[in-house]
Amino acid sequence: MRQSDSHEVSQLNELKIDVGALVVGAHYALAGNVVMVEQMPIFGGYAGGLEETAIIDVATTINSFVMLGATWHLDGPIHVRWGITTAREALAVAGHAAMAVEKHTRFILGNQYYTLAGPCTVMCLLETAAQAITDTASGREILSGVASAKGVLTDMFTPMEARMMAEAAYAVAGMPVSEVNVLLDKLVAGYEKDYKTAPKGKTFSECYDVKTLTPTDEYVSVYEEAVGVLRGLGLKYWDK
Amino acid sequence: MKTIGKRVTVYDVYDRAKTGQKVAENDWDYKIVPQAATALKKKYDVKIDKTKMIPEDPKLIDSLWQAGLEMLETTGIYCIDTGRVVKYTRDEILQAIAGAPDSFIYGEGKEAINVVPRAHSDSKAPIIQGGPTGSPCSEELFLPIHQAYAQEPLVDTIVDGVLQTVMGKDPVPNSPWEIMAVRSEALFVRDAQCRAGRSGMGL
Repeated sequence: MRQSDSHEVSQLNELKIDVGALVVGAHYALAGNVVMVEQMPIFGGYAGGLEETAIIDVATTINSFVMLGATWHLDGPIHVRWGITTAREALAVAGHAAMAVEKHTRFILGNQYYTLAGPCTVMCLLETAAQAITDTASGREILSGVASAKGVLTDMFTPMEARMMAEAAYAVAGMPVSEVNVLLDKLVAGYEKDYKTAPKGKTFSECYDVKTLTPTDEYVSVYEEAVGVLRGLGLKYWDK
Repeated sequence: MKTIGKRVTVYDVYDRAKTGQKVAENDWDYKIVPQAATALKKKYDVKIDKTKMIPEDPKLIDSLWQAGLEMLETTGIYCIDTGRVVKYTRDEILQAIAGAPDSFIYGEGKEAINVVPRAHSDSKAPIIQGGPTGSPCSEELFLPIHQAYAQEPLVDTIVDGVLQTVMGKDPVPNSPWEIMAVRSEALFVRDAQCRAGRSGMGL
């Protein structure tokens, strides 16, 4: 890796560290690397509820810069029941923590993406869009994803989810927060009722021609359906 | 004028992790952290309406910041290997905040990105780091999958997946195969970026 790549080191849940991370941090510091410190606070875990998790998220974010000399912090508030970052509560923690940190620091903040539904499903794309919208309108600098279907199944992810992450971000950049909140509430309400029946989705080789590296017509059609939902909520990005 | 203090380093943290207050990990997880968070929530009157994912009230934003700052100062960080708590002073925390980088170059050459802070109201979109984000990736498809991400026009940098096998072997943690796997991941991503015509792209 180059010095200008992001070199990762992680904190532990909640407000914990191991000596191994300090060793890695010392190496990165001496090598002059870009350092990305990662931590995913758990909503419903040790911290407890929404407010407590958001408070710990702020503390954890600050700690990345105090303890490990972070260049940037990669967040990822996650829901204890569903194991995803796109649940309403996870988004609320991320959105509140980012706004609090943005107002009081010049920190560079990222967020990582874990959806419940898998690739080639409208739900997966809408989950991704909801988080991208939250992160963009709360001042984050880097969006990192997507680990579809909770990021636990082999090859169960594709660049189409990253495309949605990008396009949704571009679609809302500069939009007033009050308008974004109305849109987000509707968008999340549209998929959160389906958690227990979330579609597993398809693998990369089922979604892409693995020689030409282009998405299947089926996935393009699914993508267009998800875009239709977002346009219905008032986003104009795809009208150009 | 106040003298500029010394910044906390990872070496200071290690030393404090050997001398800080001894605490049982269960007490940290189930008593100290949740009780402190709940007390600060009450002290600063932090209330989140989850129909508004992003706060609109400046007072709430400030209260949450103060609560988080105080959480780090008063609770500290628990080192699981030594069973001790690392503490910082308020000045040390504020100094780290003031001294944190406010820009960095991500990648090289024509693919290099100057990452700078953006406001929530900024019309400039965030940096897009595309990839499987640590998800398990088959050895056979690792290269083409990452090339497909690098080919996406709006993707600025790559966040890679994790090789399920390397040379057919399970990259068990703390084994030589683990080193082979992580080195191979970096090499494959570089190849993928080159094949997409974006050789300077960050990883």
